[in-house]
Amino acid sequence: MKPVRPVHTVLARHRARRTHRWSAVAALAALALALASCGGSSSSSSSTPTTTSHAGGVFTILANSNFGVADPAQNYTLEEWQLLINTHDGLVGFAHQGGIADSKIVPDLATSIPVPTNGGKTYVFNIRRGIKFSNGQVLKPSDFVRTFERQFTVPGPTTFYSKIVGASKCSTKGCDLSQGVVADDSAYTLTINLTSPDPELMDQLSLPFAFAVPASTPLKLTGNNVPPGTGPYMWKSYNPNTQAVLVRNPYFKVWSAAAQPPGNPNEIIEKYGAQVSDEVTAVENGQANEVFDGDQIPSDQLGQLNSAKFASQVHVNTLTADWYFALNTRRPPFNNLKARQAINYAANRAAYVKIAGGPSLAVPSCQILPPEYPSYVPYCPFTAGSGTTTWSAPDLAKARALVQASGTAGMHVVVNGTTDQVGKALAEQMAADLNAIGYKATTLLLAAGIQYPWSQNSNNSGKWNVAWSAWYQDYPAQSDFLNVLLGCTTIHPGSDASPNIAAYCNPSTQAQINQAESEEATNPSAAAALWTQIDHEDTLAAPWVNMYNPRQIDFLSSNVHGYSWGPQWYIMIDQLWLSK
Amino acid sequence: MLTFVVRRTLWTVLVLFVISVLVFFIFFKTPGVDPARAIAGRNASPQIVAEIRAQFGLDRPLPIQYLLMMKSLFITRNLVSYSNQGVLVVPEIGAAAPATLSLVFGAAVIWVIVAIAMGIAAAKFRGRLLDPLLMILALIGISAPVFWVGQVANLISQGGLHNTPLFSWVPALGYTSLGQSPVLWFKGLIIPWITLSILYIGFYARVLRANILEIQNEDYVRTARAKGLREGRVLLRHTLRNSMITFVSLFGLDFGALVGGGAILTEVVFNIHGVGFLTYEALTSLDLPTIIATVVFGAFFIVLANTVVDVGYAWLDPRVRPA
Amino acid sequence: MATLLEQVEPTAELRPAIAGRNPWALAGRRLRRNRVALAALGLFLLIVVLCLLAPVYAQDVAHVGNPMAPNLNGTTVVGGKVVPVMQQGGGVLKLGETPIGPTGDIHHYFLGADLLGRDVAALLLYGGRSSLQIGISSALICCAVATVVALVAGFFGGLVDAMLSRIMDIIWAFPLYLLAISVSTELLTHASGIQVGPLHLTAGSLWLPTAIIAFVYLPYVYRPIRGQVLSVVRKEFVEAAIAQGAGNLRLIFSEILPNVLSTVIVFLPLMIATNIILESSLSFLSIGVQPPNVSWGTIISDGEDLLYSRPWVSMSAGIMIVLTVLALNVLGDGVRDALDPRAKIRVEG
Repeated sequence: MKPVRPVHTVLARHRARRTHRWSAVAALAALALALASCGGSSSSSSSTPTTTSHAGGVFTILANSNFGVADPAQNYTLEEWQLLINTHDGLVGFAHQGGIADSKIVPDLATSIPVPTNGGKTYVFNIRRGIKFSNGQVLKPSDFVRTFERQFTVPGPTTFYSKIVGASKCSTKGCDLSQGVVADDSAYTLTINLTSPDPELMDQLSLPFAFAVPASTPLKLTGNNVPPGTGPYMWKSYNPNTQAVLVRNPYFKVWSAAAQPPGNPNEIIEKYGAQVSDEVTAVENGQANEVFDGDQIPSDQLGQLNSAKFASQVHVNTLTADWYFALNTRRPPFNNLKARQAINYAANRAAYVKIAGGPSLAVPSCQILPPEYPSYVPYCPFTAGSGTTTWSAPDLAKARALVQASGTAGMHVVVNGTTDQVGKALAEQMAADLNAIGYKATTLLLAAGIQYPWSQNSNNSGKWNVAWSAWYQDYPAQSDFLNVLLGCTTIHPGSDASPNIAAYCNPSTQAQINQAESEEATNPSAAAALWTQIDHEDTLAAPWVNMYNPRQIDFLSSNVHGYSWGPQWYIMIDQLWLSK
Repeated sequence: MLTFVVRRTLWTVLVLFVISVLVFFIFFKTPGVDPARAIAGRNASPQIVAEIRAQFGLDRPLPIQYLLMMKSLFITRNLVSYSNQGVLVVPEIGAAAPATLSLVFGAAVIWVIVAIAMGIAAAKFRGRLLDPLLMILALIGISAPVFWVGQVANLISQGGLHNTPLFSWVPALGYTSLGQSPVLWFKGLIIPWITLSILYIGFYARVLRANILEIQNEDYVRTARAKGLREGRVLLRHTLRNSMITFVSLFGLDFGALVGGGAILTEVVFNIHGVGFLTYEALTSLDLPTIIATVVFGAFFIVLANTVVDVGYAWLDPRVRPA
Repeated sequence: MATLLEQVEPTAELRPAIAGRNPWALAGRRLRRNRVALAALGLFLLIVVLCLLAPVYAQDVAHVGNPMAPNLNGTTVVGGKVVPVMQQGGGVLKLGETPIGPTGDIHHYFLGADLLGRDVAALLLYGGRSSLQIGISSALICCAVATVVALVAGFFGGLVDAMLSRIMDIIWAFPLYLLAISVSTELLTHASGIQVGPLHLTAGSLWLPTAIIAFVYLPYVYRPIRGQVLSVVRKEFVEAAIAQGAGNLRLIFSEILPNVLSTVIVFLPLMIATNIILESSLSFLSIGVQPPNVSWGTIISDGEDLLYSRPWVSMSAGIMIVLTVLALNVLGDGVRDALDPRAKIRVEG
């Protein structure tokens, strides 16, 4: 009901105020419990049937807003990605399994994950034969050429595939990747040539940007028509004002249960426009199956979900994400290390957690990397008491002493936040924390869609000292947090897209980052240890006040079973099944 | 008469032009709103953003951009929202208009009928208890902010009493189009209608009562009474028509304003995705194309209503027409 | 020596005709006799006084340090026991944090807490200060400016009138909320502070919503006053003053303004009421009063997420608005009845 809850017809890119980026992780593999729980469903042979014993039903998702343009070459939202992973496939992909296995990359349309040659710059993929698109066309390697060309001719994030040979000359006017992406339709191979080694290539190839579309797909943005894909489902329609409908792809046959298992529901519908409170009510009444906006359920209804009646339909998972306040290191007072550490000691993380909905919905954090992330080792130097691993309480005395020592006491500080209920409360709490240690804090609230680019643009840096932000993994790679958010190369002056909002740049830390990235392929354990060190150094340098890692609610109707969740794609929609 | 109408029409066009220009310039100068970046998408490189800027003509001088936008709004009608590249603005407004029209028409029917009844009753029973009672009710109607009344309505009908027979028929907040399900359309709009009309009932009942009382003392009414006509007939045939002049003209203005997006608060509180709701969303995301389109839409109806009322006045009372 | 007339004791019925009372005094007497209007005035003043006493309530009665600061980890005393202000959800999942509900204890969270753990009763009084300040000052500014413009337009007529009236028409043709929202958004994003004369306006300043609301309603007040000015300008006494050689300024301020003033005065309470409602609407949409200030509209907005579990947050602020605006409307009616000469013919019967 609340108008100022982030209404997402705003920038198609992100959900609510989230900024989603997905990084690949090469972490421990654990087998999915999901598939195991679903009795005799298909497993690994390539001639498995395309339906399972749990097949059937229409699965309805309710979302407050649509995800913007549907063209997979541009769309950067979790909302569409959760659907695209069921309608399209890439050379490789994250396993469609729950738990940490969801972060394992397995071959998908390629038969295996190649070992690069030529000093790590050349990858040769063997493409599977006999796979068809939803329009009946047979998948050929040359389809991938068009897929990659579209990364550059369709406006959108280009940083992911910029190392492909020829990419630097590509633009929205045209793209020549004849040297970089070479298809051999008779040998059925695809060769990718890079300008320099990229240990994150597999992660990036697992993102829906790189999922195959037919070679006849136009180079321009296709708007809301999604090109045909190879997955078990296909797009029947997408109307941003009403709903998206996915039906079964008649040409789909399972080739790898790990990469692309058959889906259970016969149809998947996503409806737009409902208020979150109405989404919850509808799912409570069994009129729909999933609340997409589990992070925005109003406190009124959380009480209902706690009741014995609904508790079994609620699943809560900690996300590999940070909610934090960036400190403007460009100007006083937070160009001063002591001032930054002071506010970190004073920040009342328990209060922030309460604003987020309590300890069951947020985990207080002091450091950059989130829990369960590669190289994560708990570290919190900014707490009362003598420990340095977990946060317990603020230390106001120490904070005030640091403020005095920094010589910035009494300065006027502006806290930039968003206008929705939670954002406003967080900003006010931060202002209160600053006031408690001797600053004079005021708030400056902007609507979510505006605040995100506004806070990144250095032209506005004279107007704020503390800015709220949030970051979610693109794929499980340490650089996705430590380099993108706090590296020296991601500060773009005068641009609305400068993810290092704090403008923090430490050359010696950057040197370590560069070293860790280069060691990734050759000496992964050394690289991992180095990343841990970088995380701890960055935390101590306090460019942020990290508040907490959010926990996400998935609320499903009572007839939904087979729930599985992973940190990459979150809820696995196609693996859910409906009882009658 | 004809020149009057022509003049007013030209005036309408001028007003729309000025408003659209003002809105365009206000929003284009707002920081944090770079349409090229919004179109290019998150994490696009500066080069891509620059290319988009050139491609969409966003580096041309502002007046040219204004003309381009007006062209895509009125002529080619393919204006695309900046914040949601998948959405065409003109059809979006077309889809939202029925919701607003349903809301406003229904509320108008209710408020006209009830206000007339209340106004007549209060005037007829002036001096007895009913008159001040009705007027206090009318005053309370004017004094309660419409969004709060809506909240109270929701609290009662969606909250505690939702499971009682009294309110279990109330569907979830939102608008169902007439074509989809007339029953749900009606059930979902009844409470918003009542909420929106409360404010206007209060206002119009008072206006009507005041006008009736004024006219009661006019000579021609006294003549009618002296002729021996019954009070009721005097009221209805002689008094009411003239006392409705103000009522009708105010109604025209208010109705026009509401259709043009003035019902924004009611739409927001009841989650009805009409033009007002659209305007509000566009404003909070600074989506210039949608803002311009909804502003032009709204201003058009307001000015149209003004013009119709003025023309009506001029037709009724030749003294009002300018020389 | 006394004249015959002076020696005759004037009778009560003759006295008004002879004495020639000042119309303002007459109006004042009519108002004083209107008990309903006086009661409304009393109610309004009571609310004003209560809100002015907000610091007294916060410090001495409720013992809240800074009522606008979050108090999420705080505790209070209910029924002799110390309880946390924010209580975690129950059941197995323990989702959510619910603020304490109304305690009925005037010293401890009388109306309960909001989502930031703040004392709603204290907020209500502070919010009243903002709402009343904005409502009253914007009404004064609006009426003053509209009167001046109407005087100029009505008096000079011709091209001046046409231009000013057209400008007012354009302002009025702007959908109301659009205008308010766009001006508000503009000002907020430039919000490190704007210098307007002696005032330094930051994003949180109450003068921003005041200015916006005054601006938006200018045409609404302008039109009827201009109509009044036009009809007064044609009256004979103005002609007479011109014939006497009075300059424009004297004409405007000595002849026309006093005759228009009654209309303006009638508008004042009504505009205060209207502006309070507009301010609450803007604050409800988050584009009116900004944190750390609170107003009745922001309290209603904050209470929306708690509507079904803690309805008193929204309800209390809404009731305050209704009472204040109702009082002002009744008072406005009384003032109009007192000042409007036609009321004499109309109502007494």
